[in-house]
Amino acid sequence: MINTRPLSIPVILGTTRKGRLSVHAARFMVDQISRREGVMTELIDISDLPIPLDDAGEGIKDAAFSEKMVRADALVLVTPEYNHSFPGLMKHVLDSCLKEYIHKAAGIVGVSAGPFGGIRAIQDFLPVIRELGLVNIFWDVNFGNIAQVFDGSGRLLDQAFVARADKFINELVWMARTLRYGRDNIALDS
Amino acid sequence: MEKRKKIICPKCGSEMNHHADKVVHSTTAEEAKRVNLAFGGLLEELHACPACGAVASRPAD
Repeated sequence: MINTRPLSIPVILGTTRKGRLSVHAARFMVDQISRREGVMTELIDISDLPIPLDDAGEGIKDAAFSEKMVRADALVLVTPEYNHSFPGLMKHVLDSCLKEYIHKAAGIVGVSAGPFGGIRAIQDFLPVIRELGLVNIFWDVNFGNIAQVFDGSGRLLDQAFVARADKFINELVWMARTLRYGRDNIALDS
Repeated sequence: MEKRKKIICPKCGSEMNHHADKVVHSTTAEEAKRVNLAFGGLLEELHACPACGAVASRPAD
């Protein structure tokens, strides 16, 4: 059976820090994905989620976030780099689900104030994504020197990112479709 | 080994597809009692609904 539901590819903005410039990268990715036929997207800003700190893991599962993860065929994870890693609150949120993620695609968008575009955060993120059951693609989008990529209002200043995002989204959509077919049709014991 | 019954999707009633088994690392004392020592965690089956995309899980045998 080939499912004809539109693909769902939400973009998760993984920082709550005030003044974050990652929000421009996240909105840019939502805009680029929303241009694709047959793909639905939305911005999930973790600062809008209830994030209890008196428990962890599935003990803090938020029903609305969980439902969005069930619907998702792929995730775009937008992460700034904090001390060579991704934000702890992003992991706290992602850890609240598990079965929702299994055999779904993931792509990482790294953001940094300096030139490296979050590459160390991305490298640190990969084993976490693997353990969550997500399948990471081999394209990333690296927004280095973020203050020079977008102006203060979020307008893109460097058009090279349109082509970079296009390659990333192509691969993510392919992986999302392939994994959906597998989830729906290929039994583990077949 | 005898095949287990398919899970019926709680949302739409379709048969779900068992597409993965995964070790889930226990985080609570209750879960710790169910740890499969051969795998070092709880062994769960993951199922997806081809009709509506719902997901489900249950402990593996």
